[in-house]
Amino acid sequence: MATPAGHGADTAHTATTEAEHGSGGLPQFQFEHWGGQIAWLLILFVILYVLIARVFTPRMRAVIDQRASTISGALETARQVQAEAAEQAKAAAAEVADARAQSQRVAAEARAKAAAQSAERAAVEEAKVSEQVAQAETRIAAMRDAAMSNVGAIAGETAAAIVEKLTGKAASAADIKAALATRGGAA
Amino acid sequence: MADPIHQFQIVKVVDLPDVTLPFVGLVDLAITNSHIAMTIAFAAVVLFLTLVTSNAKVVPGRLQTVGEGLFGLIDNLTDSIIGHDGRKYFPYVFTVFTLILAMNLLGMALTFTATSQLAITATFAVVTFGLVLVIGFAKNGLGFFKLFWPTGAPLVMRPVVGLIEFFSFMLRPVTLALRLFGNMLGGHVALKVFAGFVVTLGAMAAGGGFGLLGIPGAALSMTMVVGLTALEFLVAFLQAFVFAVLTCIYLNDVVNLDHAH
Repeated sequence: MATPAGHGADTAHTATTEAEHGSGGLPQFQFEHWGGQIAWLLILFVILYVLIARVFTPRMRAVIDQRASTISGALETARQVQAEAAEQAKAAAAEVADARAQSQRVAAEARAKAAAQSAERAAVEEAKVSEQVAQAETRIAAMRDAAMSNVGAIAGETAAAIVEKLTGKAASAADIKAALATRGGAA
Repeated sequence: MADPIHQFQIVKVVDLPDVTLPFVGLVDLAITNSHIAMTIAFAAVVLFLTLVTSNAKVVPGRLQTVGEGLFGLIDNLTDSIIGHDGRKYFPYVFTVFTLILAMNLLGMALTFTATSQLAITATFAVVTFGLVLVIGFAKNGLGFFKLFWPTGAPLVMRPVVGLIEFFSFMLRPVTLALRLFGNMLGGHVALKVFAGFVVTLGAMAAGGGFGLLGIPGAALSMTMVVGLTALEFLVAFLQAFVFAVLTCIYLNDVVNLDHAH
């Protein structure tokens, strides 16, 4: 610890004061020094009190209040923005749900329409096909009938040829016909 | 080795003539080391608060954070102890706190600690006590004496308890003054004594022979000095804070006399 200037110069004085009051007691109880210290402390105290009460405290409070209002203002703004965003999100969700429902409706409609169209087309095709089948069947029936009618003639001719080969003379057409009729009737 | 008490000696730096004032009597106007220490503490507080508040911003810098920390500490104290009236008494408590804190802390750096002078601590205590009395009588009139009438105690006991309350109230300035004075005095004496041991035992060791046994002692003393220095910084802050807390409690007694009892 350094000794401030002036201490050295006053050692003599200190010595005398110490000598006057004896070196046993604490220097704090040398009451002749009290008056000056108390007076000076009171002066400083009053000045500092006035400075703190009039200057420093209002300044400090102003800054702290300003900070509090800034923070609360920012919080308020943030809360508003958040509420707005929530509202917008809700609106967007509703819009999405709406769009989904609409698209589902459209899809269902399209599906129904496609099903109806395909059924119609199938019915038309089926009709066409069944008509062709019917035509084919009639044609087949006609061809069979024709074939069946030819069978008699072929049988007659065959019979005549067989009779001619066997007997050497041609059988009359009427005989053959009669024979065929009885056979055909028996058959 | 210096006398550990010598550091408390009041020394006249500039000797001014004594004057005789009416009512007060003979007053020595000399500027002493105590005056200088007080003035430096005062200037430090004013400079600090000026730096903190002159360019205060909503987003505080480092120094402003420290200043606002001290400010908030005392503001919370007055608010929580005295209640919503606390703001009115904040400047007084803050003045007491900062001035004592500055004097205590400067005592750690200068050769002289203003708060180790009983004259100084007694002045703080008497001013606080006087303020409590003035506010007590101004706010409550003679109802102030209800402070010593413990309504919670049985009727027969009340005069006795009241008397005890009265004496403890009258002892408040004494305890306020002696607590701060004793802490600063004791701490600085202990520091000086241990620091003196270092020098004495070191000198013994320098002599050689059996004197070399002084080296461990000197090392131990040095450790003590380091530890005590840290402790004294804590005490310097704590005692200023304790003074502020007690000021708040004493003010609360008389400000909220009707609500408390």
